[in-house]
Amino acid sequence: MKKREKNEAAKKRRRGIFYSYAWSSPSLLLIALMVVFPILYTGYISLTNMNVYHWFDFTVVGLDNYLRALFVFDSGFLSALLATILWTAVNMILQLIIAFVLASLLNIRKLRLRKLYKTLLMFPWAMPGYVSILLWKTGMFNTQFGLLNQWMEKLGLEAARWLSSDLSAFVCCTVVNLWLALPFMIMIMDGAMQSIDRGYEESALLDGASWFQRTRYIIVPAIKPIITPAVINTVFTTFKTFDVVYLLTQQAGAKTGSGFHTILTYAYENAFITNNYGYSSAISILIFILLIVFSARFQLREEGDL
Amino acid sequence: MKRLTALLLALTILLGLAACGGPKPSGADANKLVVWHDKEDAVIEALSAYLEEAVPDLEIVFEKKTSLTDSLKLVGNDPTAAPDLFIFAHDKIGVFAEMGILAPVAELLGEGALADCLPMTLSAATYKGTLYQLPLYFETLLFMYNRRYMQDDEAPATTGELLDYMGRNTGRGRYGFVEQHSTAYYSAAWIHGFGDSIIGEDGTPFPDAQAVRDALAYHLQFVALMPGETEYSTVNTLFLEGKADATIGGPWMVPSARDAGIDLGIAPMPTVDVTGKPLAPYSGVQGVHVLKFAAEGKTEAVKTLLSALTDPAIGTSLALASGCAPANVKCYDDPAVAGDELVQSMRATAEIAVPMPNIPEMDVMWTVVGNLLTDVNLSGKDVGASFDAALAKASELIAAMK
Repeated sequence: MKKREKNEAAKKRRRGIFYSYAWSSPSLLLIALMVVFPILYTGYISLTNMNVYHWFDFTVVGLDNYLRALFVFDSGFLSALLATILWTAVNMILQLIIAFVLASLLNIRKLRLRKLYKTLLMFPWAMPGYVSILLWKTGMFNTQFGLLNQWMEKLGLEAARWLSSDLSAFVCCTVVNLWLALPFMIMIMDGAMQSIDRGYEESALLDGASWFQRTRYIIVPAIKPIITPAVINTVFTTFKTFDVVYLLTQQAGAKTGSGFHTILTYAYENAFITNNYGYSSAISILIFILLIVFSARFQLREEGDL
Repeated sequence: MKRLTALLLALTILLGLAACGGPKPSGADANKLVVWHDKEDAVIEALSAYLEEAVPDLEIVFEKKTSLTDSLKLVGNDPTAAPDLFIFAHDKIGVFAEMGILAPVAELLGEGALADCLPMTLSAATYKGTLYQLPLYFETLLFMYNRRYMQDDEAPATTGELLDYMGRNTGRGRYGFVEQHSTAYYSAAWIHGFGDSIIGEDGTPFPDAQAVRDALAYHLQFVALMPGETEYSTVNTLFLEGKADATIGGPWMVPSARDAGIDLGIAPMPTVDVTGKPLAPYSGVQGVHVLKFAAEGKTEAVKTLLSALTDPAIGTSLALASGCAPANVKCYDDPAVAGDELVQSMRATAEIAVPMPNIPEMDVMWTVVGNLLTDVNLSGKDVGASFDAALAKASELIAAMK
């Protein structure tokens, strides 16, 4: 009798596992098609000699492309890597602080026109990134027609070339990136703050806790588990930034004189323009591994913290 | 119920994806030719109208592609997805010929069909001794000026006169002359004016290094009197808003200049004082390319179409419809074409213009030269050191192509 029950339970468990996979299979299939397959195919191409001269008749050449790719990881790549790490750190710190402040303001009790503010803050998210970046470039930073230089002129100051030096280009790119990325972070923080039980805060208030104490001991610990996945996601989106830096400062035919590169804009200029897909794929795979290593370290640390 | 809905939704998504990946029509109809292009509507309308009358038995389908070259790289050897022909500038011929997707066009044309083509257009369409494009028309840069500010007799004959004019007319938000000074396509004219080129026919970057260094150093004094931005929209707007007296621009600027009410003058390219050579801009020859499988599978249809396109009538209609400079010299006999100042100026510039190199190595040179110009003109770096770094980078990237 017991054996029969055991068999039944095992059968039920197996059925449960089968159904779990069956229900997840459409999404697993989609992930395999859209994420896993391109990575595996890039890995395969990186082992071939696919280039302009062997476009359709390429053959496997082993690790040749990887050996050549190591030459791209020169001092230029190293400085681009350091710039990318700095870029990610600065952007993340600013994003978290600004999003936290704005989300806190949005959660002030009896705030009027709350929905209007939220809509306005979400607005940059509704615009395609490409359009936003080019609008900033021509509308704000352009030396001849940009708003910033018009203000400078009104103040009797000399017009500046905002995107021409490494530092000013870094700052301008950061401003545009914040404009693009803040709506997501504000939305997540706002949602997380709304989920905090008011009772905690009210008790803390009764106990005489200051704003700083309430923030440190109640709000931050409460929202941390909710915003962590979003932060990890944003760290990697920021680390692999291409569009903001390329379109603002490095676009072919519209370069500004800045030497600020992220690893992706650097790899683009030093490999992808060669039309050598084998070589470019090897570099992509190496950058992918680099990101995975960073990701693993970061996630392990986050898990340790939690 | 929820499960059923989820299952139905999943199936719908999968079916949708399957439909996206479904095969395209095989295109077995031997009289149907699909032509990809990236041209403006006026050009395609003129071509369609002409072909409807000239080859009524053929069904020609024009499809506009914004990233035509990238699409061709992906599907160029797949008859179910690729077009039969495409219309594009000549500078990608080398890439596509090396990829093995282009058919030589000479054998698809009747004898003497190319006899009336301008030699510059034929040389542009030839890669490693084989003709891969039937030239239709070409574009090149022109020296344009706003007659409100620069009188006809002030149009500079030499670069020295140009510099003098710029010095007298630049300041307080106004410019005597503007150009996209730090982009390879525009700066090539200055390098040619010093007798060198960006890349040699054999793929050697900057064959005459000293000439390039001289050109860069000489050009700097002009850059100092121009805005610190080099992109098309800034330069174009400065000229169209009357804030710049003169510019070097393509024929595509002319309609907007006329719409802006500018009394537009067009002058020959100035001659460089120190070399005695004119600023020789790049020219881009637009024409028809045939894909290999179409040349083999639809030979008669392709031959009929190409034969119709060698008629001077199409060049004339294109010139009148959109201000193109036809590749066929006979078109210039037409009184309407002969009276068009813009077309005639481009015809004259064709004598000195240098076709953009069509070898695959040029693909990396656009970026290398762009970076070199940015370093010298916008970042204020030393000409010699920047040039040496650019030369090393060019050699490295060209080696990485193989």
